Amino acid sequence: MTLTVDDERLDAMFAALADRTRRDIVTRLSRGEATVTELAEPFAMSLQAVSQHIRVLERCGLVSRGRHRQTRPCRLEPRALEAAVSWIEENRRVWTERMDRLETRLAELQGEQRG
Amino acid sequence: MTDELVYTRVFRAPRELVWRCLTEPAELAQFWGPRGVTTPIDGIVVELRIGGRFETLMVGEQGSHRMVATFTEVVPPERLAWVETATGLRTAGTLTDLGDGGTEVVIHQRNVPEPMRSPEAGAGFRTSLDKLEQHLRRLTERTSS
Repeated sequence: MTLTVDDERLDAMFAALADRTRRDIVTRLSRGEATVTELAEPFAMSLQAVSQHIRVLERCGLVSRGRHRQTRPCRLEPRALEAAVSWIEENRRVWTERMDRLETRLAELQGEQRG
Repeated sequence: MTDELVYTRVFRAPRELVWRCLTEPAELAQFWGPRGVTTPIDGIVVELRIGGRFETLMVGEQGSHRMVATFTEVVPPERLAWVETATGLRTAGTLTDLGDGGTEVVIHQRNVPEPMRSPEAGAGFRTSLDKLEQHLRRLTERTSS
């Protein structure tokens, strides 16, 4: 946990990626940008439903959309993705340090009891 | 590939004491936050029953982060589980009395979304790995400095 304002965004990203369809969209976008129509193709889903999934991904910063073209293609934001992937590493560090500190605290408490 | 993460640690302390540390705000305040982060006692909420709230406020130099969760299992002194509201991440702690004065704690996390688990987990993520690696290195350097 880096404890920046981005933690909330990371939470949102986490929640966004908990959904199978959105994960598939992210996977598709990792191969290159695509329009909503292209993204909707493999899914038995309306364009509106796919657009809604994309909005969720946009809100957490994983996906951005071009402004200059009518089709507004979607693309993946590598910096956001980096944060998602590094979550595991951070999480491991947080728990390891937490256990270290608990160990120290337990030793203190038992020292107090004996003393 | 499993969607689970597991951390195990053996403490030289009786199980009741470990349980106390994991469930009393005054104790959690002593060790819960990672390095460089404090968890003030008045920011900790522990309602020790199923459906009860479990909240911590972690305050670091760059800002603060509130973890909001609900307890899903409370079996003193052996099992404690909660689900985080924002992420759906489920964490369970199992405390085992080893019979020699030691206690084994196993932290088990479930519902970790696939792309979070490892870069390899999603085949589609491979293409962005090179860029990721550079970012990660920078991030790690920043974190450790």
